[in-house]
Amino acid sequence: MSVPAPAWKQFQAKKEAYLAYARPWEKKVGAFLTFRPEAQAALGSGPLAGLPFGVKDNIAVEGFPLTCGSKMLADVVSPYDATVVARLKAAGAFVIGKTNLDEFGMGSSTENSALGKTNNPWDLTRVAGGSSGGSAAAVAAGLVPFALGTDTGGSVRQPAGFCGVYGFKPTYGVMSRYGLTAYASSLETPGVLSPDLELVKAVFEAAAGRDIHDQTSLDPQPLEPRPIRSIAVLADLADLDPGVRAVYEQTLVHLKALGYELVPVTLPTLEYAVPAYYTIATAEASANLARFNGIRYGHRPVYSENPEQLVRQARTAGFGDEVKTRIMLGTYVLRSGFQDQYYTKAQKVRTLIRNDLNKVFERADLLLSPTFPVPAFVHGDKTMNEFQQKLADKFTVTANLAGVPALSFPAGLAGGLPVGMQFTAPAFGEARLFEAAAAFATRVPVTACPGTSLDWSK
Amino acid sequence: MYQTVVGLEIHIHLNTKTKAFCGCQAEFGDEPNTNVCPVCLGYPGVLPVLNEEALAQAYAVARALGCQLSKRTLFDRKNYFYPDMPKNYQITQFHEPVGRDGRIEFSAPDGTVKSVRIHDVHLEEDAGKMIHAGDMTLCDYNRAGYSLLEIVTEPDLGSGEDAEAFLLSFQRLVRYLGVSDGNMDEGSMKCDTNVSIRKPREGLGTKVEIKNLNSTRFIKKAIEFETKRQATALDAGQRLVQETRLWNENRDVTESMRTKEGSLDYRYFPEPDLPPFVPGAEFWKEVETRQVELPLARRQRLVETFGLSREQGDFVTESRFMADFFETAVKLSGNGLAIANWLMGDVQKELNHFGKTLEASPLSPARLAQLQKLLDSGRIHIKIAKQLLDAVFEEDKDPEVLLKEKGLEAITTEAQLDPIVDAVFAKHETVVAAIAAGDVRQKGFLVGQVMQATGGRAAPALVNALLGRRLSLPKS
Repeated sequence: MSVPAPAWKQFQAKKEAYLAYARPWEKKVGAFLTFRPEAQAALGSGPLAGLPFGVKDNIAVEGFPLTCGSKMLADVVSPYDATVVARLKAAGAFVIGKTNLDEFGMGSSTENSALGKTNNPWDLTRVAGGSSGGSAAAVAAGLVPFALGTDTGGSVRQPAGFCGVYGFKPTYGVMSRYGLTAYASSLETPGVLSPDLELVKAVFEAAAGRDIHDQTSLDPQPLEPRPIRSIAVLADLADLDPGVRAVYEQTLVHLKALGYELVPVTLPTLEYAVPAYYTIATAEASANLARFNGIRYGHRPVYSENPEQLVRQARTAGFGDEVKTRIMLGTYVLRSGFQDQYYTKAQKVRTLIRNDLNKVFERADLLLSPTFPVPAFVHGDKTMNEFQQKLADKFTVTANLAGVPALSFPAGLAGGLPVGMQFTAPAFGEARLFEAAAAFATRVPVTACPGTSLDWSK
Repeated sequence: MYQTVVGLEIHIHLNTKTKAFCGCQAEFGDEPNTNVCPVCLGYPGVLPVLNEEALAQAYAVARALGCQLSKRTLFDRKNYFYPDMPKNYQITQFHEPVGRDGRIEFSAPDGTVKSVRIHDVHLEEDAGKMIHAGDMTLCDYNRAGYSLLEIVTEPDLGSGEDAEAFLLSFQRLVRYLGVSDGNMDEGSMKCDTNVSIRKPREGLGTKVEIKNLNSTRFIKKAIEFETKRQATALDAGQRLVQETRLWNENRDVTESMRTKEGSLDYRYFPEPDLPPFVPGAEFWKEVETRQVELPLARRQRLVETFGLSREQGDFVTESRFMADFFETAVKLSGNGLAIANWLMGDVQKELNHFGKTLEASPLSPARLAQLQKLLDSGRIHIKIAKQLLDAVFEEDKDPEVLLKEKGLEAITTEAQLDPIVDAVFAKHETVVAAIAAGDVRQKGFLVGQVMQATGGRAAPALVNALLGRRLSLPKS
């Protein structure tokens, strides 16, 4: 196997030059909540030997903070490594920082972080997307060759799209969730962000596989290899930003030129995907976030009359508004007597979406869609309210509801901003995603973010 | 008159080396917060890993209780906040428990055999423990994540006495299966009790759940108290409210804790971190091999086979160890009734005296059988047998060995007795002369002297007969 990201092998040797490059950049971008570039590379070999990487701050790295972008966990240091982190370390890579995110992964702009502001390296007035906005900004700005994110409803792919890098979400279970701070357990997975597709593959291969700490984890079971012939495209695409639409149309042209047959399909259940997603995600979140009560770790008041009051005070002060909204929503949909109406119905929709996708994959090898209907928006943009931002998740949440892999790839620019397109594959079809994206890159190479360079490595 | 209707929710700690969902030791009484890890402390990012041994024990109990066993068992989250519960939800089983619809018999105090239907058996995790110290509250999470098995009965019990008898019998059952020590005073068995009353042939009344019951005796008393309290209220024309009440063991009363309006909505939903458990052929085999002859069946068999009384049968089946001990000793000695008597009487006295359990005592089934065989063959008398039993406890040796060492073997021939009689006659010449002169009453004194000189090893009949002849007395 070829060594991925050869320039980054110089990281240790050219540390001064790297720091001179990275420190000012990071000051502008704010990708990291904890940045320790002085960390020494681990000795040893392995496919990722000597590569530094960033980890979204909701994934556990021993000895690093695990804040989840929340005041609640601002002082928590992880006592253990997430399985994916441990495997990447074993493959020779090492962590140099924890990246910013929407609090507990809840958001699509990283503006819901209580601990820092992350700007899009392409345009500092704009958001990097979310919730893995810090990871996307870090790799787009050339601060690390790759970063881990987590994808619950598009949280790896959407910021990757906003920042012009690859954002990869594997089949549910293939990358262990052990060490990933749970938001919506049945939907989420670790994922990989990088401008280097070969590196995404290498990281995936090093991190994937069954883990005894995660009973929902699986070994990859690759589909029978055969060349990709056909790609499904959505027949009715409304509400796209004109810039995104233009890139989308261009993408179709390129795919056709590559010899793929484009198969128009409809996903009748797509309009129910977002409501189903938010019902299931918030229900699970309401339980997953219950453990943060200020007793064993995390934010706690100086004094409380009794344990019950301590818990109430800790949670009132520790959580931000979006987190509270989702906990309340999740509590609401799980009430006894109302489950059939909400939670159970959402699970049925989930089954229908899976069936819809299966039908698509009977007719085509992959599904193409935009990653997100708009490019990176400016900070505090009010043209999309919170509700509209959630509706815009419809292209990405589908893969989470169905548990299938998807990859956002840089497809071009619109008004100087990167636009991501997304391939979705059937379960265990990761190789198809990489193959199609590599083919696409032969026609549209990845555009580096202006101002980034690996010159320090020379 | 009202009928009492009782249903129980029993919790037992399973006998697993490690906790239900992590690798921590499941040990009582260690320093607080030492048997903990990120998983059972509910750290961010951790996931549960099912302890299959806990599930095997759960299935074994459900099977012994005659339940329909689930072919695909699921876990759910039960959501509520409690300071000593690390995740603020409990992993339990709601939609598809290990077992359902069982039935188990027990021996009621009135001597009849009654049965109780089992609603379901499900596996869950325990919480930690809060310790209130002055103006501080401290939490110990050693117990958090223990495997806990909940057994829910149908409301089939009719009195406090029956409930107590059922629980004692249930306790015996889980001990036989080896899945729990079932000790209520140590908290490894707990029982919430649902009580309602009704007029005969009427539907079920409003039920009250009683908590904080940590002995079977309290459960009996609480049921009896509730029956009276509810009856008094109904007779006074009051309506009962569905509520949770706490047993106050200092005052022997139940006190209201919360009413149904204040009850919690647990918002159960499937645990996304644990896939369904589908037992395979190996697992089913394992569940079968864990089955044992249940205490009640065993008692009935022993009573019938060896002609024991119900009380004796109850005693020798108190534990599986005791019952195995009994059966082995009987097999070696061939005398069931005698072995039962030993165990209930002198063995129990020796155990109390030495402060030992049968398991830890020097007495083995072989030694008890040996003792009984010495007795049955006439080589020793009952008095010597008791001495030997005591010696076994003192010296941890076989009765045969002790018998030889101490020279306690019975004197069974006149040839052995003659020299002893000679010595007694020599010492008490005047008595011998008096008898010869006709004062026959003094013979008893000489018998006593001979017995004493033999250390009780001679049979009184033998001594009597020999002395009669030696003194030339007519046969009496």
